[in-house]
Amino acid sequence: MTAVLALAGIGIAGYLTWVHYADLSPVCVGGGGGCEKVQMSDWAKLGGVPVALLGLGAYVVVLASLALPEELGRSVAAFVTLVGFGFSAWLTYVELVEIEAICQWCVASAVVMTLLALVSVARILRGGREHGALAA
Amino acid sequence: MARLNQLESDTFEFLDRLEEREPTLSLAMSRVLQLALVAGLAAVVVVVAIVLSSNGADEESPATTSQTPGVSPAEEVQELFAGIPQKGIRLGEAKAPATLVEIADLQCPFCAQYSVEAMPTVVRDYVRTGKLNYELHFRSFLGRDSVRAAGAAAEAANQDLMYQFADLFFRNQGPENSGYADAAFIREVGSQVEGLDVDKVVAAADDPLAQPAVRRGEQFARGIGSTSTPDFYIRKGGRLTPLEPQGTSPEAYAAAIDAALAGS
Repeated sequence: MTAVLALAGIGIAGYLTWVHYADLSPVCVGGGGGCEKVQMSDWAKLGGVPVALLGLGAYVVVLASLALPEELGRSVAAFVTLVGFGFSAWLTYVELVEIEAICQWCVASAVVMTLLALVSVARILRGGREHGALAA
Repeated sequence: MARLNQLESDTFEFLDRLEEREPTLSLAMSRVLQLALVAGLAAVVVVVAIVLSSNGADEESPATTSQTPGVSPAEEVQELFAGIPQKGIRLGEAKAPATLVEIADLQCPFCAQYSVEAMPTVVRDYVRTGKLNYELHFRSFLGRDSVRAAGAAAEAANQDLMYQFADLFFRNQGPENSGYADAAFIREVGSQVEGLDVDKVVAAADDPLAQPAVRRGEQFARGIGSTSTPDFYIRKGGRLTPLEPQGTSPEAYAAAIDAALAGS
């Protein structure tokens, strides 16, 4: 599940990153220019780095965490996805209140990151393959 | 006695099971603590990121600066449009073979970006050379500041100085719908346009709907089905065709215009 979601996130963030550096406008279903307006806003960069690129990096790290030793991998995945979830929530607020436009790609990424955060938290709470779960 | 023995047996069994559960309980607590630590660190990072993001968005927009070192924005704008015929919302020779039609909103950040980054190339390479003229219609759908700005621009058009006014307005855009386009702001922008009667422009901003061009701009956009800004069309041979540049760079606009003028 983590791998599938991470790959989906890589696809979304990868597309937005490519669009940014290729100086193109993202495809936005239904027109209206919302995707473009959000992507071109001052909020689309953090410290000069495109947010899409940061998201791409986060998804890659989450995918790579699956190759780490179990305990460390779970912690890394949970940390990255919780940061991603928090920042995605903030950016969604900014879209609605400050920019007053919706980028469908950003919403899709926020959904994926939220799901990843839930899965990552569950992985920590349930542990790996340790035995001895609380008896009924 | 048998009951006491049973009770004792049950108690020992319970204590045995409790001992078996202790490591499991400890493990569960350690996982919760692990999650709490991770979540706490993540929260700190998120707060730092939000602060950085907010500070970045508050920085001065590059559109307010000049593109040429050592030259003020006002001088740059003056030089860009100097000597090019201007009549109302039209820039360039009336008899040019084609017209580039732009629909914009003075509050629109993309319109500002185009105005600062790409429009100078369009004006220098196509309008000044007579390959096409320019027709700029302002919408006012982003909010009250847009309506005021459109009113001011309409009066500037009456004085055949709309392009200079609009360019400087774009370079000084404030936060959308924050009420920034007040009389003082309009006067500040208008005062940078050589020859503009600023009092009339400010008065028009205060009563924008009295300017026919404000309604005409909105009606024109709706009439051709334009739904976003900036929006571009080429009028050639009586036909209005959407212009779709593949990007926002001056080169992208130039390529699209070249293709449109070539009739492809």
